[in-house]
Amino acid sequence: MMVVHWAKLLAHSRLSTALQAHSWLVPLSQSVHIVCLSILFVSVLMLSLRLMGVGRRRRSIAEAVGSLLPWIYRALMALAVTGVLQTLIEPMRQFVAPLFWTKMLLIACVLALTLAFGRLAQRSASRWDTGQVTPVVRLYAILSIALWLGIIFCGRFIAYTYALYL
Amino acid sequence: LHLVSFLTALQNTPLAVAIQSGDWLFPGIETVHVMALAIVYGSIVVVDLRLLGFAGRSRRVSEVAAECLPYTWTAFVVAAIAGSALFISKAERYFGNTQFEFKFLCIALAGINMLVFHRGIYRRVLEWDYTRPPPLSARLAGGISLGLWTAVVFLGRWVGFTV
Repeated sequence: MMVVHWAKLLAHSRLSTALQAHSWLVPLSQSVHIVCLSILFVSVLMLSLRLMGVGRRRRSIAEAVGSLLPWIYRALMALAVTGVLQTLIEPMRQFVAPLFWTKMLLIACVLALTLAFGRLAQRSASRWDTGQVTPVVRLYAILSIALWLGIIFCGRFIAYTYALYL
Repeated sequence: LHLVSFLTALQNTPLAVAIQSGDWLFPGIETVHVMALAIVYGSIVVVDLRLLGFAGRSRRVSEVAAECLPYTWTAFVVAAIAGSALFISKAERYFGNTQFEFKFLCIALAGINMLVFHRGIYRRVLEWDYTRPPPLSARLAGGISLGLWTAVVFLGRWVGFTV
């Protein structure tokens, strides 16, 4: 399989072997990954529920977007750094698992959706507060929660399934 | 000795046996635990950063707390139920695990910190809702909470490598 070849190449690279020498790096990186995931997920949840009008409307949609979206982007960047680090150290574990590629696909989808939403919000967030939230915005709200739940599911299950493909 | 026999009995209950012997029950419950803990920890971080005066300064402390607390408590109940299900499946091993013990010590300390904060300075929150920076005791409570809950996440992940 092509991916196994790449994984082996990467695993034997100088960078990967140097990182593999520190056994504490993976648990540490995973912990930071979960910390960042928590910040991201709670921001996504609060933003989406606000967009859908669930719960008390303590602040305007424009304010919610303005304060939560930057945290979503910051958390995403930190998740990417720790995620890449873990993949560098254990490429085989990731590359052979179909759930890893499923996770990457879901991340690509949610990333594209979030960037598109960010652009849309920049132009029309103020209008959502005075009038109706468009169906597209509601769809984004629901999809982003669903996609992130799927991503968390894949992330946890990679650990239990990769051995099946080795 | 009583405790050990209790733990043994616990992990021999039909539910515990089902969780430890099924292929997907343990990872499935663990996934729910991760989803819930992300909401617990994330919502606590939002409040802590506001208490420290690092983020959300344009909003009142009481408003941020009122928005986040329902998330925290709802998710905490889910995380606790899922966590208990994971615990009973290997009760003896978890109980004797150092990281597991420290994790629960940190949760207990975080609980005490929260109680002191709510019974103390938070009663007069309307007096300092917008104060910059927030009063020292509020910043202290936020800092301690952030440190302890971060330790809980790290220790929790560490348990997975040592149990």
